[in-house]
Amino acid sequence: MLRTVICDLARLRLSGSTSPAAVLVTQVREKGHLSRPRLRNPYWFIRKERTQTDDLVTGENRSFIKEVVHDTYGKPALIKGIQTYEQKQLIKTPVAPTDIEPWTPAVRRCGLIARKIGQYPLWLKNGERVRTTLLQVVDNHVVKYIPPGEYTPAQRPRVKHLDRYGCVLVGAESTNPALLTKEYCGIFRDSGVMPTKNLARFIVSPQAALAPGTPLNVGHFRVGEFVDVRGKTVDHGFQGVVKRHGFKGMPASHGVTKTHRRPGNIGGGGEKGRVWPGTKMPGHMGNRWRIIKGLRIWRINTKYNVMWVQGSAVPGSTNGLVYIYDTVLPLRKPKEAPPFPTLYETEDDAPEDIWYDQVHNFKDETITYKPE
Amino acid sequence: MNVNARILTHRVVQQCTLKRIVTFSTKPTQQAAAVAVPQQQEAPGPSVRKPIVPAHYRFVYPEFLPDPKVEWRNSVREKLERLDMLDRRRQIELPEFYVGSILAVTSSDPHAAGKTSRFVGICIHRERCGLRARFILRNVIDHQGIEVVYELYDPTIQKVEVLRLEKRLDDSLFYLRDALPEYSTFDEHMEAETLEEGTPVPVNDIKVVLRPRPWLERWERQNLLGVANIDQYLKDKHRKSAAKVQKPWEKYDLMKQYRSTIPEEEQKEIFAEVHTELHTLELQRKRNKRKRTFVKPKQLA
Repeated sequence: MLRTVICDLARLRLSGSTSPAAVLVTQVREKGHLSRPRLRNPYWFIRKERTQTDDLVTGENRSFIKEVVHDTYGKPALIKGIQTYEQKQLIKTPVAPTDIEPWTPAVRRCGLIARKIGQYPLWLKNGERVRTTLLQVVDNHVVKYIPPGEYTPAQRPRVKHLDRYGCVLVGAESTNPALLTKEYCGIFRDSGVMPTKNLARFIVSPQAALAPGTPLNVGHFRVGEFVDVRGKTVDHGFQGVVKRHGFKGMPASHGVTKTHRRPGNIGGGGEKGRVWPGTKMPGHMGNRWRIIKGLRIWRINTKYNVMWVQGSAVPGSTNGLVYIYDTVLPLRKPKEAPPFPTLYETEDDAPEDIWYDQVHNFKDETITYKPE
Repeated sequence: MNVNARILTHRVVQQCTLKRIVTFSTKPTQQAAAVAVPQQQEAPGPSVRKPIVPAHYRFVYPEFLPDPKVEWRNSVREKLERLDMLDRRRQIELPEFYVGSILAVTSSDPHAAGKTSRFVGICIHRERCGLRARFILRNVIDHQGIEVVYELYDPTIQKVEVLRLEKRLDDSLFYLRDALPEYSTFDEHMEAETLEEGTPVPVNDIKVVLRPRPWLERWERQNLLGVANIDQYLKDKHRKSAAKVQKPWEKYDLMKQYRSTIPEEEQKEIFAEVHTELHTLELQRKRNKRKRTFVKPKQLA
């Protein structure tokens, strides 16, 4: 009944638009459907972990599954200080491809996925002490390259002329595919890379495109260059104003009652008699994505894939995941060409420890100053 | 059941008494000394192999043990840190010393007259681990108390001499700041005292005399052993409030102890990694020392 009425109305509207209004039509102001922006995530945002059930699989079958995994991806191995699998079948590109366009300062390179593994001081050759954070690049492999035309994300990142850039999907930390969902493993099928625990996309210029399966190491960056590091800050939960914004609080004694860690006044009266937007108040603290920009790389260890980066304010906790990019700060951008599109490592040529020339190597002699 | 329980508790107590030494701090001095001396009376068991790493290493090289806080640990970082520490130790002799030892540190200083400065003082505190390890030296110079914080692995440090190797009764000697100045006054031109090899590190059980209040800290709450006259300046209210904040149950809190220390197995692993290197460095140091002490007699007549 209702449907027929609606159909009639629709027909009336249609006929009304074609012919001059002869019939009285009740106006329908609503659009009839919700037009809120749809959250369309990239296709690699799929459920990762499979529900683990330990029924119906005998020990024999379990070992068989393990065997199959080892046959397809290789035996478990400790590579560069990280527990992973020797991926023999991986499409490797040991020699740099020849048809690479040269690097220009405007080009966007791929980034790396790393873990923040701790902090300790280094000393410069003039005796100055610098605090550094150690970032370990964890078993990175290129999973996919999406060329500029095809990369049209629903939520546009704030990059000018996004249509000129492509996207590189990088995976980090290989894991047993038996623990993951079928759909998630499907992302990796074409590249031949073992499914990884972590994925990240990096927006790159088409010149900096990388072939799927290319391993990314810490040699992607050079000592002395500057990087931006993105991470999720430590979650503090709902916090008061003293911890969240560094307010002073009020005295503990001298007649103060019930207001020791409160914000005090939060607004004036009169014409501005309201709480102004942006007033610092209690609320959730941390667990946000933050980028710290322009950190110098002081030292690189190629054996463990570790870089020492200036400062101890890298967002996130120890052993937390961070993303490393070339810096966007105009004065700290590299002047000379970095490894482009990345460093294709051969086995033996890389020195183990690379120090920036201002940094004191612990193997060197004690720092002394020359008398004038 | 009851009997069983009793036996069990007895066993637990026995084990506790045996393993009480496993601590991160350098506190149990007497026990440490006992450990340092190799025990001969042990029956030679065929199955039990003697550990290669000497048990006193955790007191001699406390900074090789990482911070026990689980959230801050990472095996790769710790390994890299240890390698750097060993590299530095190959360049400079960092001797064994404790809180209460008297040290002389020579360091490069761009503002000093000869570009080097030497400071003699008593080590009142030792803290942090890895490359961040540091200690505080205190001395009174021209009636003015001076404290200098040195980082053990700072490459501007040229030389660390131990003038008197000894321990005190407490873990840290911050109370020297409130003690009479003669307790932290040391001669700048003091000569190094040598200990015979193999002797345990002596414990200096000197009791320090405090100045009257006001103090920098509430010393009466800290159960200090090396202070003589603390009762003299206390009123009843101080005693009462001190008794209130005492936590006498904490010494039975096994979990707390476990969380604040590196377990023995892990200590063994860590020291097994650095032991050979440290040992060769020690031997080298001993050889150098012998060379230095031997003076060729002059030919008379």
